[in-house]
Amino acid sequence: MASLFQYRWFQILLLVSFGPFVVRAVQFYFASTNAQVAEFLAATPDTFREFLSQQGLFVFLVVIMQSGLIADDRRTNALQLYLSKPLTRVEYVLGKLVPPLAFVLGVTLVPALVLLILQIVFAGSVTFLRANLFLLPAITLYSLIQALLSACAILALSSLSKSRRFVAVMYAGIVFFTAAMYQVLRAITGSRKWAVISPGEMLDVIANGIFRSRVEPAVPVYVAIVVVLVIVGVALVILERRIRAVEVVA
Amino acid sequence: MISTEHLSKWYGQVSGLNDVTVKVPPGITGLLGPNGAGKSTFMKLVTGQLKPSKGTIEILGEPIWGNPALYHRIGFCPEQDAFYERMTGLGWVTALVALNGLEPAEAEAAARRALEAVDLLDAAEKKIGAYSKGMRQRVKMAQALAHEPDVLILDEPLSGMDPLMRRRTIRLIREWGRSGKSVLVSSHILHEIESMTSNILLINNGRILAEGNVHQIRELIDTHPHSVFIRAEDPKALARALLVEDGVISMRFEPGAVSVETARPDAFYARLTEMAASGEAGVIDEVTSPDDNLQAVFKYLVKQ
Repeated sequence: MASLFQYRWFQILLLVSFGPFVVRAVQFYFASTNAQVAEFLAATPDTFREFLSQQGLFVFLVVIMQSGLIADDRRTNALQLYLSKPLTRVEYVLGKLVPPLAFVLGVTLVPALVLLILQIVFAGSVTFLRANLFLLPAITLYSLIQALLSACAILALSSLSKSRRFVAVMYAGIVFFTAAMYQVLRAITGSRKWAVISPGEMLDVIANGIFRSRVEPAVPVYVAIVVVLVIVGVALVILERRIRAVEVVA
Repeated sequence: MISTEHLSKWYGQVSGLNDVTVKVPPGITGLLGPNGAGKSTFMKLVTGQLKPSKGTIEILGEPIWGNPALYHRIGFCPEQDAFYERMTGLGWVTALVALNGLEPAEAEAAARRALEAVDLLDAAEKKIGAYSKGMRQRVKMAQALAHEPDVLILDEPLSGMDPLMRRRTIRLIREWGRSGKSVLVSSHILHEIESMTSNILLINNGRILAEGNVHQIRELIDTHPHSVFIRAEDPKALARALLVEDGVISMRFEPGAVSVETARPDAFYARLTEMAASGEAGVIDEVTSPDDNLQAVFKYLVKQ
């Protein structure tokens, strides 16, 4: 993690990722000081749900930068040395999960919670929070689901190759290709049920459920949860098979 | 130190190790065998990196597989390079030592001690990418011994080292042996192993062919011409100096190197070390010996 912070472009990315946060904070400020503005820009649960959706781009970027987490260890044969130390495979994987989880939560959970605090500070009351008490667990839960899904996916892909570039291309391919395929199949068949092939769409369905959105979901929320669990499960199986000190080529 | 009972390892249909029952005593033990003999498989089983397909393996009286607590007592130096080239030698060894549960300051102190032991402290702050082959070997050895393990497992530790460093490393391994540590060291060059220990395990095709003091095998190996590849600053000058030596059968020039075939490998290696020390034939960068030498002997042995 520390090595990533050494890169200026990564520092810039983290700064830029707080752009939407600043915009929302300004929105909350004006909504609290100007009654006319408040009619259009007052905070609602959907504001926080939209904010987290907007952060999706930054989630994608910080996750794709973790593509070398395991690939680099495999390329440099470092795995055999790590696993000859008193370090179990589970500890290794948990250790590798920390950077993507931390960065994703850093661009989702942290700014969303700070926004909630700013809303209270600017409004000078906890009326909004009291009326929408579910927002605290909702922001936390959705951010955790998003972070876990992204982290498991990038780690599993990273364990499949020795090239971090190839892993990054695979991850981007899966994210964009599944989204595009969904749109194509939806256009051809007219059914939104094809959303199950797109992890991004499934996260949207879960977000709508958690944030009590009135938007009609493409599939029931439980289906989206099952899809996410299946992806995480497949990622863990891949990691279990690929994290070996000795690569066996039979 | 190490005991195995009917130990076997298969990679799918391919057998890596076949029904090996052996007891390796404390002290230095050489594991000698040609490429593909099963040396690395045996070492990876010993270090708990591979699960036995059949049989059992115990290190210091405990099963090693799935027993990470025992890894504290083992130091492993792999044959392959396993580096992050952008890291410094000190940073790399410190990071690996820290995996043994040491605090950062303790880990760095241990890493410095280990780098000093392998004569690499001067280059500790250099990036590994700038290290020579010999320095890479030494930094790998440093990470293996930094946490002061009871058992050292060294997979081809002398590969690619120059003659002087070879001599120093052999001396270092002997000192470890004398200090009560147990060392299992693999090589495909008998002369290397013999300079460290007379206790040898001879392995081929995944089986232990012989164990103990194998002088007869040594004599047999000496009857076969032994080829040595030497990378040097001035290969022609080196060739001129070696040409007058007894036992040199043939020479072949390669870019920046010379390949020599000798009938007297012991005398040849001794002379080469002298030359490297005196610098009479220029700087000698790297000495390697292809394992066809041993392969030929093993083929002969198996036929016998």
